[in-house]
Amino acid sequence: MVDFVLLHRAALAGARSGAFGTSMPEKRITLEALPEGHVLQVLAGRATGDVTALVASLGDGKAQSVRPVGPGQWFVVGDAVLSTVDMAERKARLSGQGSMADQAHGRVRIAISGTDVEAVLAKGTAVDLNLCEFPAGRSAMTLIGHISALITRTGEHAFEILVLRGFAESLWDELIEMSLEFGVDARPPV
Amino acid sequence: MASLIACPHCGPRPKEEFTVRGDAGITRPEPDAGADAWHAYVYLRDNPRGRHREHWHHTSGCRRWLIVERDTVTHAIYSAVDAAATGETA
Repeated sequence: MVDFVLLHRAALAGARSGAFGTSMPEKRITLEALPEGHVLQVLAGRATGDVTALVASLGDGKAQSVRPVGPGQWFVVGDAVLSTVDMAERKARLSGQGSMADQAHGRVRIAISGTDVEAVLAKGTAVDLNLCEFPAGRSAMTLIGHISALITRTGEHAFEILVLRGFAESLWDELIEMSLEFGVDARPPV
Repeated sequence: MASLIACPHCGPRPKEEFTVRGDAGITRPEPDAGADAWHAYVYLRDNPRGRHREHWHHTSGCRRWLIVERDTVTHAIYSAVDAAATGETA
């Protein structure tokens, strides 16, 4: 007997959306909830040696799909939902040199872009996001305010933020507040 | 307390990202070392003035245990290395 029906809904389905803040067309920030496809957490022990190339092969081929988080830790992300077969195939590719688990149910991706996006994120994190120090493809696990998140630069004026599902809506609201001075368009999940 | 820690994996990060465990120089006694040795290991700590080596965990970053050597008077950070690199368990 089922006491209640489990509903599958996007973490940001009920989040605030629309246009907020001042109207500065050339500086507007865009906030976008990305598809909850796959977020593979890959871990490898120190004794395994360098598995960077192997982990790189787990990506879906798109730029910045493989994100280093620390020594022996990566997130491999993408828009496609992976079937059991896809997962088994990727696990076979790892050939026992690391462990892998899909965390798409627990971590959410948010895209943020705009000419002044660095100034927005600098309100929340102490990581130096200057393009020279933090080029496209670079990732940093850090705090945005009090929320732990992985920041990845995906373009000159674009970042992606990976955050725990339960914190996603709070972070979403904070990012809107942080972007108000430039104006922000918040787009909910499709 | 020092505000920027140069994590060997992540670069300079604010202290808010870290959790301090305490003195890195304490060694765990043998299981049969006796109540006094275990009491000292669990409860007794020095409160040094000057250079001090501590275990710091980069909780909101790479999640690695580090050994941070800092000055408790001037707040200067002398070094921050991965605890595993110095042969200690982490």
